[in-house]
Amino acid sequence: MIDIRGVQKSFKNTVVLKGVNLTVEEGETVALIGSSGSGKSTLLRCINLLEIPDQGSIAIGDYKFKAHDISRHTKKEVRKRTSMVFQSFGLFENKTALENVTEALIVVQKKKKNEAIEIGRFYLDKVGMLNRADYYPTALSGGQKQRVAIARALALNPQIILFDEPTSALDPELVQEVLQVIKQASDERMTMLIVTHEMDFAREVSDKVAFMDDGIVLEVAPPEKLFFHPEHERTKQFIDRYMQRFSYTI
Amino acid sequence: MGKIFDVEFMIEIIPDILRGIPYTLTLAVVSFIIGLFIGLIGALIKIYRVPVLRFFTGLYVSFFRGTPLIVQILLFYYGVPILLRIVNQKFGTSFDVSRVPAMVFMLVAFSVSAGAYLTESIRAAIISVDKGQLESAYSVGMNTTQAMVRIVLPQAVKVALPVFANFFIGLLKDTSLAFAASVTEIMGQAKIEAGRASRFFEAYIDAALIYWAICIIFEFLVAKLEKNVRRNERGIAK
Repeated sequence: MIDIRGVQKSFKNTVVLKGVNLTVEEGETVALIGSSGSGKSTLLRCINLLEIPDQGSIAIGDYKFKAHDISRHTKKEVRKRTSMVFQSFGLFENKTALENVTEALIVVQKKKKNEAIEIGRFYLDKVGMLNRADYYPTALSGGQKQRVAIARALALNPQIILFDEPTSALDPELVQEVLQVIKQASDERMTMLIVTHEMDFAREVSDKVAFMDDGIVLEVAPPEKLFFHPEHERTKQFIDRYMQRFSYTI
Repeated sequence: MGKIFDVEFMIEIIPDILRGIPYTLTLAVVSFIIGLFIGLIGALIKIYRVPVLRFFTGLYVSFFRGTPLIVQILLFYYGVPILLRIVNQKFGTSFDVSRVPAMVFMLVAFSVSAGAYLTESIRAAIISVDKGQLESAYSVGMNTTQAMVRIVLPQAVKVALPVFANFFIGLLKDTSLAFAASVTEIMGQAKIEAGRASRFFEAYIDAALIYWAICIIFEFLVAKLEKNVRRNERGIAK
């Protein structure tokens, strides 16, 4: 479904991605973990071309492109096949919850307004936000905003959804409602790549976990293996540090 | 002999001065709208750092913000005929400046001046919109034009509206300078009436009251518009 080969990216003098390889199969949920600055978000943004990679190639379904050959047409094709859920929600502030979902259906996918509204209401219902359809983002909580954002991403019917730390900007008590919605999409075999710091969630929901370190994907394995029997010392250190964080006593 | 302050005369000439209103409003509204277009283009050139054009935009904004409007008006008024004569000489054409109404010169002068100010206002309003809005518009597949028109600019307008209103009121009053180019707007009419009877103070009081009234009506309209633009802050549609 998604095949990332040798992707490199630098900002000015900082090399962020040093040749990333990663494959996500159709219907698979892959969690991307790693410490801050390891390049997780940059990798995600390179996939839908919010950042332009310097080197490498990416295939999304039947569509392949190379880093040095990216045009307006490439971006259009890539974004037709992907959608993204942002850490800071990224809901259109001048649109209601429903309009947020229907906007691209009408403007980009050229669907009829009635049809778009029908789809929009279906997905808002799916994330439990139908009763807030006419609310503007300012009137929604963080968790509600993120659920609308997920409805927007699902409604586009993409081949893969990219999640960029979807719960990092949320109050702790709102995290669960968002994770639940993501899990539901995962159970329905939506193809997803999720950058996350929620290790328990990654364990529970993902088919594979990819550990990124220092600009490369160091290790990919099923969650039970990666969390309990990692191959690399660096992975083990990272996991241990995370587990420690949640095991202190008062 | 003559009265110190002639109230009757003051009232009598009001209809004559009111005849200047169409000129005043046309000047203000048309140059504001053209100025908005120039300003939007200028702002986008600056934001997207378009090479070469960016330099000329900077020069344009700097000159028209850095010189008094009255000077610009006179430069247009005396400069354009000279320019036309040069064109006529060079290309053997026969444009006749005297057949171009002074109003046209003034519309151009005011639009160009408004464009310079609005370039900066619009640029500031656009960059005040969170960058995430543009990115999420891209992420759902919109191109730059769609993202700008449907997502970023509507939010920028909300920010810019008070600035626009302020600028428009200033512009409305600045149109009084057009009398220097013999346009018979409110101030020009007042001057004519005043000169006819040598009653200057009365005529200018009329002019002041008329400008003030127009501005009050305008402020009322803006307040309504602002409420409409800020509807998303009430939280719920309908």
